[in-house]
This record gives sequence, C-alpha cells and structure tokens, in this order.
Amino acid sequence: MALGRAARRRLRAAFVYATLAVVTLIMCFPLLWALVTSVRPNEEMLSVRLVPDHVTGAHYRALLGGRSMYFEAGAGAYRASTAPSQHFLAWFANSTVVTLATTAVSVAVSTLAAYSLTRFRFVGQSVVPYISLLGYMTPSIIYVFPLFLAIVALGLADRLPSLVLGYLSITLPFSMWLMGAFLRSIPLEVEEAGLIDGASRFQVFRRIVLPLAVPGIVATSIFSFIVAWNDYLIARIFINSITQLPLTVGVMHFFEGTHVDWGLMMAAAVLITLPLAVLFMFVQRQLVVGFGAGAVKG
Amino acid sequence: MSLAFVVYPALDAIRLAFYSKLPFRNTFTFVGLENFRYVLADPVFWASARQAVVWTGVSILLQTVFGVAIALLLHQAVPDINLFRGLLLFPYMVPTVVIALIWRWMFNPEFGVVNATLKSTGVLHGDIYWFSDPSWAMVSTILLNVWKFTPFVVICVLARLQTIPVEIVEAAHVDGAGAWRRFLHIVLPQLKAVLAVVVVFRTIWTFNKFEEIYLLTRGGPGTSTFNLAVYAFEQTTANLKLGVAAATGVIMLVFLFAGSVFYLRLMRQQEA
Repeated sequence: MALGRAARRRLRAAFVYATLAVVTLIMCFPLLWALVTSVRPNEEMLSVRLVPDHVTGAHYRALLGGRSMYFEAGAGAYRASTAPSQHFLAWFANSTVVTLATTAVSVAVSTLAAYSLTRFRFVGQSVVPYISLLGYMTPSIIYVFPLFLAIVALGLADRLPSLVLGYLSITLPFSMWLMGAFLRSIPLEVEEAGLIDGASRFQVFRRIVLPLAVPGIVATSIFSFIVAWNDYLIARIFINSITQLPLTVGVMHFFEGTHVDWGLMMAAAVLITLPLAVLFMFVQRQLVVGFGAGAVKG
Repeated sequence: MSLAFVVYPALDAIRLAFYSKLPFRNTFTFVGLENFRYVLADPVFWASARQAVVWTGVSILLQTVFGVAIALLLHQAVPDINLFRGLLLFPYMVPTVVIALIWRWMFNPEFGVVNATLKSTGVLHGDIYWFSDPSWAMVSTILLNVWKFTPFVVICVLARLQTIPVEIVEAAHVDGAGAWRRFLHIVLPQLKAVLAVVVVFRTIWTFNKFEEIYLLTRGGPGTSTFNLAVYAFEQTTANLKLGVAAATGVIMLVFLFAGSVFYLRLMRQQEA
C-alpha cells in the first residue's frame, strides 16, 4: 500500500515489458534459430546454444556460388546430395520476375476494374462483389487442377507466365474487392468538378483518382506480392523443369537427397524470407491499415 | 473479365466431379455420381475429415486464446511498443515453405533443438518422433499453424481494441473492478463481434489448408495427418483420379458455402 501511483505504474510497465519480451522471444525463436543455424559451421550443428561459437559464411557461399554440395565424412568427401543448390539463383530470379509481374498486373487490372465498378453502371454489377468475396474464400486446391488443364490447353504449362496467371486467379478477386472499397470512399464530386473543368475521363482518373487511391494501391501490392512470393501449390502443379521453378518449390527438392544439409537449408530459408523482411520494414504501417481493411488471406 | 480466372476453373471443377479421366489419356467419360460414391465409401476420406476437424478445432482454439492475450499485451501503452508489434506480426508474412523447413529442423528427432532442450531440462527422457508418430505429427502441424496464424488474430483484435473508448474501462477501474473482471465484463463483450468473424474466417481457411500440412508431414505418417485438401491432392497426383479429387473439392465447396452463409448471417445480425 506504500507504493505510490508512479511506482505502481512503473511496476506495471516492467511486468508488461517482461511478458512481451518472453512472448516475442518465443514467437521469433524459429526465425532466430534459422538465422543462427545458417551461419553455424557443420561441425557445431548439434550445438543448442543460441550464440554460435564460430560464424561461417560457407552455407551462403555454397548456395549463391552455385557449387554442388559435398560433405566430409571420415577419409574423403562424398557427393552427398542430389540437392541442386546450383539452381538457387535461377529460382530466386524466377520468383522475383513472377512476383513483380503478378503484382504489377494485379494492381493495374484491379484498379481499372474497381474504377469501372464504382463509376459506371452495367448489368450484373451488384453481384460482382459477392463473387469476388467467394473467390477470396475459395481455397486454391479446389480449382488448381482445372486451372492447370486450362493452362495446358493454352500451351503455357511449365513456363513462368502460367504462374502469373495462376497467382492472378488468387489475387484479382480480392484486389478488386479491396480497391473497390478504397475507390468508393473517394467522393464523386471531386471528379465531377474535374470533368466540368474540361478534363477527359482518363485525365480525371490519372490526376485525381490515382493519387487519392495510393493507400489502396499499396495494400493491393503488398497482398499480391505476398501471395505470389509465398505460393507453393500452384507452382508445384504448373511447373516441371528444375530451372523454371520458383524458390518455394525449388528448396523442397533439398530434401530429396539421402543427406540433409541443415546449414544450407536454413541459409535458403533466410534468403527466401529476406525480401519479405525488407518489404515489411518499409510498409509496416500501411500493412496494419491494410490488414484492418481486410487485406489478408491465409 | 478478371473473374473468368476463378469462376471458370471453379465451374470446371464441379463439372469434373461427374467425369472420370483415364491416366495418360486426355479423354473424359461421364460417370454421373460414381466419383461421389467412391469418395463417400473411402475410409481415408472420412479419416481425413475427422483429422481436419481435430486439426482445425485445436488450431483455432489456441490461435484465438494466444491472439487475444498478445493483443491485450500490445494494447498496453508502453514506449517502444511498435518494435514488439512488428516482431510479433512478422510470422504472418513468412512463407509456409520456410516455416516447414525450420520446423523440420527444430523438431528433428535426432538433431533438433526441441528434443535436445526437452531432454536437457529433464522433461523428456526418450526422443519424441515429431513426424513419424501419428499423434506427434498432428501436434507439430498444429503448432506450425498456430505459430503462423496467431498474428492474424492479433491484428484483428488489436484493431478492435483500439476503438474501445478508454472511459468505460477506466470507469470500471474507478468502481473497483480488478483487471480480470474488467477484461471479462467490459472488454470481452466488445470483442465478441470481431472474434466471431475471425473464428468463422479462420475455420473456413484452416479446414481447407493444404501447404501447412503437406510441406511438413506430406499428410503422413501414412494418412494420419491428411485433411480433405491433402486427400484431394493425393488422389490427383498419386492415384491420378482427377474426378475423385474434383468430387472432394465439391464437398469442400459445400462446407465453404455453408460457412459463408453462416458468416453473412452473422454480419447481418451485427448490423441489426
């Protein structure tokens, strides 16, 4: 009872801090452990200490240098694994190209579609949001095989454009729904004023609507980026050649050898996560806003 | 126009459910309800459905409890809270493939840090075979799911917490209500609506999840961590029964549709 108000508050803050620190440590531990493993020399792989005794860049060099893997066992070096780490850079490039293309197309199409949905009238307009929502809820396992048949019919199987089409089938319904919500909040009067002043429809769209829609565009881009970068299922079905794979499907091939090189594996995990971490740092604020508007699917 | 990407394949999936495709030949024969009969008579289908219920139920329960607890912590006004917020939300963005890689390493029975830690602290004497023992395989997939999607609950609950007027909580404080009673009687009723939406959405998604299970255990050992999505995938890729997979997909769609109707009704109730 002798505790003053200020002391009590400080005690409470300390308690909150301590709890938060423990919770954060638990939540971040898997990522932290991957990072530690990725710089740990193979001889110390069994160590359970969070701070490695020695730090090595060997795993990253093996991954990025495109050398096939060996591991030391007794007298000689054996070719340990069929794991094709020499393709890692190609996979990284594939993932990057496909992700950027998906994001660009997704933003462009959904912005235009949402604009026409909110500004013009046409038959069936009222059901579009519902269908979008249904598309948003449908898990891709249900339509991935029929979609693959369509991709085969188009002659796109085993090629990167098929992935862009596949990812758009996930991102577009929801992006349209999201952009529609953002564009509806832009008052029509502003645009009408522009039209009366003699601007064309396109000028109004470019000069007035687009700048106001930036938060929506950011949310849509983040969403599309994550979907395309993180996907496994669609690429697994659509792509067959080892050089055409994106990262996610590619690294799962590391498990095919008889020996699993965990240091290499964790280095790969870190490198796949890195672009998302960079993106996350830049957009954290918008992300929370976007999440609030419902920009999540999982 | 853009809807063609989803609507056409979805309709095609429903059409395929009534056809049978011979392996390696591009012909489809109409077989009526034969695929559905096959699915409903398959014990693996029912086992998958049961396992999906367990995996969904436990995952959702844990996610909601942890999610609300963490959101309450993050809602406290202490300095540097944004740092914690960022660190706690990030798992949601990490690709499932990466989580599966890390899980396979951490939970590795021989070399993994989890077994090593449990043994050195004396909790455990033998090894836990996290992926080859059916029940532990289920536990490890549930842990993966909970770890990845708890941030989703945190984000939704946190957004709602921030709109609760500070006055009503303080008023209860002044009236002498303790922290637990303030939470139970003031905050929790305010969260009811958002929690209902989160639980419905997460249930629909978790029930049909594919990668979270497949990448970690491939549905194994045996079929002990199959859910309907993994079942449909295996029917297509291993058994080449595209029609059977499509029929499973239609059954999943029925669940989904029921869930969506339930969700829409919930929304309407809240608006009224």
